[in-house]
Amino acid sequence: MYLPDFDYIIAASVAEASRMLGSLGPEARVIAGGTDVLPMLKQGTLVTKTLISITRLSELKNISFEKGKGHIIGALVTHNEVMKSPVLQDKYMSVCETAHRMANNQIRNIGTIGGNITNAVPSADFPPILITLGAMVTLQNSSGSRTLPLEEFFTGPRRSVIKQDEILTEIVIPENGFTGSTYHKFGLRRSGALAVVGVAVAVAMEGNICKDARIALGAVAPTPIRVKEAEALLKGKEVSDALLEEAGKLAAAASNPITDIRGSDEYRRDMVRVFTRRCLHKAIANGHA
Amino acid sequence: MMTEGKFSVIGKSKPRIDGRVKVTGQAKYTGDLKLSNMLVGKILTSPYAHARILNIDTSAAEKLPGVKAVITHKDVPSLKYGISPARWDENIFCIDKVLFVGDKVAAVAAIDEETVYKALALIKVDYEILPAVFDPIEALQEGAPLLHEEYAGNVNTEIHQNFGDVEKAFAEAYYVRNDTFVGQRTYQCPIEPHSAISVWEGGKLTVYSSTQSPHYFQYYIARQFDLKMGDVRVIKPHMGGGFGGKLEPTGLEFAGAALAMRTGRPVKMFYDRHEMFAHNRGRHKQFMKVTTGVDKNGKILGVHADFIMDGGAYTSLGVATAYYAGAMLPLTYEYENYKFDMIRAYTNLPACGAQRGHGHPQPRYAYESHLDMIAKDLGMDPLELRLINTRKRNTVTPNDFRVNSCELEACLIKAKEISGWEEKRKNLPSGKGIGLAVGSFVSGAGYPIYRTDLPQASAMIKVNEDGTSATLYTGAVDIGQGSDTVLCQMAAEAMGFTYEQMKIVSADTETTPHDFGAYASRQTLMSGAAVKQAGEEVNKQVIEMASIMLRTDYRDLECCEGVIWRKTDPSVTITFAAVAREFFVRKGPLVGKGSYTPPKLGGKFKGAPVGTSPAYSFCAQISQVDIDEETGEIKVEHVWDVHDCGTVINPALLHGQVHGALFMGVGEAVWEEVVFDDKGKILNANLGEYRLPTALDMPGITSELVFSAEPEPAGPWGVKEVGEGSTIPTMGCYSNAIYDAMGVRVYSLPLSYEKVWRALKEKREQEQQK
Amino acid sequence: MQAIQDKEGVKRYLITLYVNGDPYTKVVKANTLLVNVLRDELDLTGTKKGCELGDCGSCTVLLDGKPVNSCLVLAVEADGREVLTIEGLGENEKLDPIQEAFIANAALQCGYCTAGMIMSAKALLNSNPNPTEQEAREAIAGNLCRCTGYVNIVKAILSCGRQSKGGDE
Repeated sequence: MYLPDFDYIIAASVAEASRMLGSLGPEARVIAGGTDVLPMLKQGTLVTKTLISITRLSELKNISFEKGKGHIIGALVTHNEVMKSPVLQDKYMSVCETAHRMANNQIRNIGTIGGNITNAVPSADFPPILITLGAMVTLQNSSGSRTLPLEEFFTGPRRSVIKQDEILTEIVIPENGFTGSTYHKFGLRRSGALAVVGVAVAVAMEGNICKDARIALGAVAPTPIRVKEAEALLKGKEVSDALLEEAGKLAAAASNPITDIRGSDEYRRDMVRVFTRRCLHKAIANGHA
Repeated sequence: MMTEGKFSVIGKSKPRIDGRVKVTGQAKYTGDLKLSNMLVGKILTSPYAHARILNIDTSAAEKLPGVKAVITHKDVPSLKYGISPARWDENIFCIDKVLFVGDKVAAVAAIDEETVYKALALIKVDYEILPAVFDPIEALQEGAPLLHEEYAGNVNTEIHQNFGDVEKAFAEAYYVRNDTFVGQRTYQCPIEPHSAISVWEGGKLTVYSSTQSPHYFQYYIARQFDLKMGDVRVIKPHMGGGFGGKLEPTGLEFAGAALAMRTGRPVKMFYDRHEMFAHNRGRHKQFMKVTTGVDKNGKILGVHADFIMDGGAYTSLGVATAYYAGAMLPLTYEYENYKFDMIRAYTNLPACGAQRGHGHPQPRYAYESHLDMIAKDLGMDPLELRLINTRKRNTVTPNDFRVNSCELEACLIKAKEISGWEEKRKNLPSGKGIGLAVGSFVSGAGYPIYRTDLPQASAMIKVNEDGTSATLYTGAVDIGQGSDTVLCQMAAEAMGFTYEQMKIVSADTETTPHDFGAYASRQTLMSGAAVKQAGEEVNKQVIEMASIMLRTDYRDLECCEGVIWRKTDPSVTITFAAVAREFFVRKGPLVGKGSYTPPKLGGKFKGAPVGTSPAYSFCAQISQVDIDEETGEIKVEHVWDVHDCGTVINPALLHGQVHGALFMGVGEAVWEEVVFDDKGKILNANLGEYRLPTALDMPGITSELVFSAEPEPAGPWGVKEVGEGSTIPTMGCYSNAIYDAMGVRVYSLPLSYEKVWRALKEKREQEQQK
Repeated sequence: MQAIQDKEGVKRYLITLYVNGDPYTKVVKANTLLVNVLRDELDLTGTKKGCELGDCGSCTVLLDGKPVNSCLVLAVEADGREVLTIEGLGENEKLDPIQEAFIANAALQCGYCTAGMIMSAKALLNSNPNPTEQEAREAIAGNLCRCTGYVNIVKAILSCGRQSKGGDE
């Protein structure tokens, strides 16, 4: 296949990368793992003049837990590093399992969580689970940085609020009261499949009462979406099969899938119903496992 | 050779002769080869499904530094070609019209890959877009866009075969049922892309190609460029799978030859993965209506198969495919009355050809599903229904296929036993199901692709001068299935030699004797027969020389695994090597030759040759599935495959073939489908969205064999085929297992999760209405 | 990284790759892929191209010990790093146990996926000397094979595990 020519710049710092992105404008973009950028360049769905490599920015490769802040994941952490991280496994196995279900082992060794988020495809796997856990993302440029909820990051397929000269530097899962969370990726085969429907759920249980719930869906709307109606239904209620089924129905109604080669809108909507209910059961019973 | 029934070399899982070079990365495939002064070439294809070519401007491309040649139809012979002799409907480059997205328009040769891609983008083609047709039924209607002037109504192949009296059988039947099914377009997806290197030197053309048949390539390339076959050499280096898609020369060989002639330099051409999908020559989409009349016991009295096939823009192997689709149906069940109607239509989509099972897996899916529904209507166990109807040995089908060995009944009984069929049908919980299907396939086609009296296969063995090794020369083609290994085992067995001392030269039209190549599962039987004969000739000469050296009557000598001894006094021995060396000293090269031509097979009606074979394999498959009732997700828990494939030459390789054929059946049953947009462009021309099963998706497989008391007489040592047999029943098998699990029938392939979900939904809605 | 520019303004970069333990210094463009450097510059054609989009795994090599699709790695990103290809397995005449296991278990047919498959298996066995069947299947889930149905490949990998346990299961 043909990979077109491009200029290549190695950024020595976030500030430098940001400056260059700003000065070179929209014909320049960041490359990290390259597992999204390079296929797009080869297939002609992306045209760019300059790739700015941020892979040497080791400050973006850490995973840590800071009391008072939460779990911090650097944007350049690869999917397999997320999956295997003892810090994350200790609390959020659901996030590690999400990483585990992505693409295949080879891709997971170079693809990054930052890339998965900034590529902003509707079927991306990290956004739904991170949104339910209230994740915040930090965007940095040469003038400073801003932090916003991941939920507010996406504006459309492959579109987000990120500015031309901003770099996503870290994802933080703030300390929270959720007792359980899970993500289900419904794909058409067990490896190397995009989500036809992605459902993430986080719950804060007290006995059999659901004090709080978050439900986020991927692949069924132009962006990942939260289902606030379903969340409101669950909040403060004693959980039962009927209640969870009802939540599933609300999630299905809130979704807005398209029909494409992977599935029809009708099928996807019904899968949202089924998997929302199943994910709620799992998060209630199994914690963050 | 050994006493009857006991073998010294065959029947053993000898390690592959090419195993070491492949696991070390030393094996060179066509795309790995680098020749001196070599150029790289690629083909420019059409972005439109149906368009008139108004103008091609190559000037900008020609000026790009590093470009050595740009060619179009003006620069190559306009002779039409095609692998099916009755239908030469393709050109090297389209002249007036392009007929599908991906059709060949021009080609470039340049000093490196990057330059080629850039040059292709600089070729300017003006098209006049024409209305296109993408559905075979629409293509056959009055007023549909016409693809080829010579083929009115877009009818590429039309078949009407009628044996016995089907109408009478239906009239007299206790029960008649008909069902309609649709099979999808799939693609072989060999992991190695097509690649060819053409070298033109001193009036001679050498082509290295990822090919299943150097012979057919040599024949058609010579014809195309008006060369003597002796001036065209085709060599197959190591090859990364074909599955039917690499049996005919592609634009890469024809354009490559033209570019090599023009530039005087070797030209390496290749397809990218999406170009492979566009070139296609994979499985046809088929609309299949099947009707069967049975008596009150379930005995089949008559069958009508009425099919329509989507052939795409060119014939490829499609004439044979159209015949195979229906011709093979009567192989598994005994009945006298059979009617087969088929139309293969042209559409503005990539051409379809032969894919593992050659036209028959989908009709099997249709027929086996159909039979299960008849079983249900009669209140019978579907396995019992099969047992009532299975073909027996030494019978003849209504379409004149002579079946010698046939252990289908034994296959069914064994499959029933090892799968726990009886128990499971009664006790599996809702959502879990068990289903079965049977199949049969040819062990080589009775007649070659073009009309010729050439033998099917030939072989030579040369024992080296000191007898410590022997080289087998065979035109047979190892495309991964292991023919190099298996034929060396057969050579050693026939010679009384050892496998470990065998060497092989294969698939090179200049050095190896004629063989038609790897398709229709022909080589173990046909190439093997030639190899056996060659080995026996060597053995005869060795025994004669040994009888002189040991002063023993030749009838009192046994030769096995490189040692000769006197039967009546085994202490009198001599090595094969010593005898061979002496032979060379006294008489010159110790050489054996063999060739194989099948007997004249088949009836006298139109299309009779297609489906003929010296021998047929038989197979029963049972699968167990677990369906998620809410999502339609299919988990195939296990597949049991019981095969009647004759004598086993190499058990490990044989079971490997079952695994692989089954894998392809599994993929096509549940996941695979080539999908187009409304302009005829493939939407999933990549291995991400065209889903092959991964290691996490495969069911457990139990592969077992049954053997006849008397070996198959038509095959050397009683061999039959196995390479395609296990692909045939799989789709039907799953369809039936899903029905058993959930009580829903999916009438089209693939049996995707969504289709199962939809069928379950409809079933629930129907039940609610009651 | 040092770069030079030709008279058309095309930049080329000087990189050093440590391939199978040996240093190779090459001049490459930004759009040069690791798989092409290995195959075309170093004549290490064991690593194959099957799809060039990271779907099939036939280009799998170990980059700093981890299996990656070399068709999705820019050569400039591999500068200074260790690459292990199929040619780097085994010691002189001796094959690596995983290579022996592939032969012994008939885990290859056409052989085109084999190099990538073995590299994925090798990486697994390096970090997990006695994998379960599920772990073996996961390790090769990104390597597509059209010939074997993976049956004997999984067998071969598990047989290496049993070997490392020092006896039969």
